[in-house]
Amino acid sequence: MTPKYIWLAHFVGLFMTCILSQDCNLLKVHLSTVTWQNLKILNEMSNSIPIECLREIQDFKLPKEIQPEKTSIKYIFYEMFTQAINIFSQNTSNSTWDKEQLVQFQNKLYEQIEYLQQCLNKENKEKEDMKEVKADEKEHSGAEVLWQSQLKLRRYFSRIYNFLKDKKYSRCAWEIVRVEIRRCFHYFETFTKS
Amino acid sequence: MLTLLRATTLVLVAGAPGLLPAVAGEKNLKPPENIEVYITDDNSTLEWNSSDGTVGNVTFSAVYQTPEMDDWIKLPGCQHTAGTKCYFSLPDLDVYEELQLRIRTEKGNDTSSWSEVYSFIPFKKAQIGPPKVHLAAEDKAITIYISPPGTEDNVMWSLDEKAFTYRLVMWKNSSNIEERIETVHPGGKIYKLSPETTYCLKVRAELLMYSKIGIYSPVCCINTTVENKLPPPENLEISANNESYILKWDYAYVNVTFQVQWLHGFLKVISGTSLHKWEQIPNCEHIKITYCVFLRKLLPKGIYYLRVQASNGNSTSFWSQEKKLNTAIYTIIPPPVISMKPVNDSLRVYVNAPEVPLIYEISFWENNSNTERKYQGGKTDFTIANLQPLTVYCVKARAHFVSESWNKSSIFSDIVCEKTKPGNSYKSWVIAGICIAAVFIVVIIYIMKNLLRCFNYVFFPSLKPPSNIDKYLSEQPLKNLLLLTTEEQIERCSIIENTNTNTIMKETNQIDEDHKRYNSQTSQDSGNYSNEDENTGSKASEELLQLETGSPETNS
Repeated sequence: MTPKYIWLAHFVGLFMTCILSQDCNLLKVHLSTVTWQNLKILNEMSNSIPIECLREIQDFKLPKEIQPEKTSIKYIFYEMFTQAINIFSQNTSNSTWDKEQLVQFQNKLYEQIEYLQQCLNKENKEKEDMKEVKADEKEHSGAEVLWQSQLKLRRYFSRIYNFLKDKKYSRCAWEIVRVEIRRCFHYFETFTKS
Repeated sequence: MLTLLRATTLVLVAGAPGLLPAVAGEKNLKPPENIEVYITDDNSTLEWNSSDGTVGNVTFSAVYQTPEMDDWIKLPGCQHTAGTKCYFSLPDLDVYEELQLRIRTEKGNDTSSWSEVYSFIPFKKAQIGPPKVHLAAEDKAITIYISPPGTEDNVMWSLDEKAFTYRLVMWKNSSNIEERIETVHPGGKIYKLSPETTYCLKVRAELLMYSKIGIYSPVCCINTTVENKLPPPENLEISANNESYILKWDYAYVNVTFQVQWLHGFLKVISGTSLHKWEQIPNCEHIKITYCVFLRKLLPKGIYYLRVQASNGNSTSFWSQEKKLNTAIYTIIPPPVISMKPVNDSLRVYVNAPEVPLIYEISFWENNSNTERKYQGGKTDFTIANLQPLTVYCVKARAHFVSESWNKSSIFSDIVCEKTKPGNSYKSWVIAGICIAAVFIVVIIYIMKNLLRCFNYVFFPSLKPPSNIDKYLSEQPLKNLLLLTTEEQIERCSIIENTNTNTIMKETNQIDEDHKRYNSQTSQDSGNYSNEDENTGSKASEELLQLETGSPETNS
């Protein structure tokens, strides 16, 4: 590849997320792209888990029974990104991460939260406009399924929160949490393909 | 018989369990009904109805269970409660998990049966309590510090502390009519207020994702200060070029210096008060101009806030209103990369661009003409047909991104020129055909020539001797020898002896048959003959020939 094309590819990577963050119709493509970028930062933030921390690994039981459909994917991602930014805003002084990387990660998460919030507001507005339309039975059950998914997701994140608290935000605890969040992002990213 | 009857009735009466206490005269306790749970933050209230009333020593006890547990556990705070209400709190509970409750009535040692089970998910039922509000005032703005609802280590909203959105209602104390309703971040400011006025407000927290709207905080009032000498800068505007961002503002007075600060967007959400995290923009400290230019590199992709402050040595103004910078808006769409390929009498155009729904505007013209044709579409691979052969055409393109909120265009790409393929295909085929035919004809002629030669050789051979023998035949006598068949050479010869004639005559009859036999005979006849050279021998044969011609005459 000629230097010209390398430059173009790099620029395109940045450009795609910038441009796509303005349009909610391209939500899935956008979510896929930004999740990969987040995963990249999570990888670069640290070297692999130190051996002494392997003892403390625990199963947080990622709720794989959640299968977000097209309509509910933005809720799931909104919840996921909000919880991720919450977790990483706790006391990270014991971690050995590059502060710049951490800030960049939080920055990215915030950007996506804003974007999803804007898309959710738009959707709520549309729903309000359509209030006269008779509510579908399917919609109700869909809403119930969404509730269940959100609750499962919250239970998962509260397990992570409690783990951090119990381990007093130690370095090992942070490393384990970092890897777990990476797993979580990776799992839900697969649903942006369908 | 009567005694039997009485006995049976007694037995029947004794048998019926419910009747026995009635017979005994005790009160029949009914379980409570219409159970309801109200939750605000971590504080829960359990209420019910009881037909037995609250008179006397009637108490109630509740138990709870989660799906994981096998047994019912006593609900703390709701044991032997008088009245139809109790308060409880379960700090170790998973608020996202289903919880089941049931109550029974008690009086003394008697208890009613358990009520119907009441099942619910605490988080779903919970209502958001009032947030805690703390105010600080400037001359024309108020800073609002908000703490999330619930206690600091509350369980219900532990995952939502940063997710709450806050809605504010504000009015001037003097007139209740004027209301402002706004969404505000913790540590946020309300601007455009009047100095030296009392403002009152109340705030509530919301979780729109779960359709939860909280209770308003108690009303809080504050006085704005006296108008400051230096007003804050106003009308902040952001623009960008290739390398830098430009922040411009308005200011009424001269002889002031400005300083510009920036803040990460996410810090507004994460930390309650982002006071100390503002950073200076280098080369925009103590500037006298009303704009600040800084490199895009300084604020890589993300959401930021900018603010400006004026000062004139003695005093400083309050900070300006914060301007949100979303770098995504200022991204540059790179120009597309074009390549062309000549195909027959058309040109195939390839646009190399990212997989984003962009619209491409392509300008197309003949090299030395001024007329341009424009194409617009989303395709990255298409053909321009019906072009002149062996002509140079040039093309340039740019990309457009159009969405509901805004649209952006790239600059034009580099110009790419390409020459179309030569001429009519028909003409070139004819020329090619002619050439091939010519070659073909030459080949045919050559083959025919060879065939003819062959034919002649087989059916009409040449009488000419081979050249190498011809050499040797250059002498005359030999030539004469070969020509014997055509020409007869007569030589005179005479008979030496007569005795030989009979034998010779006999033998001449056989002469046609065998020349060799005769030669051996003649050698017998005279030794003289064999010693002589060939010529004599041949002379003898000539004799015989003469005799032969003569013999028929003699015989007859």
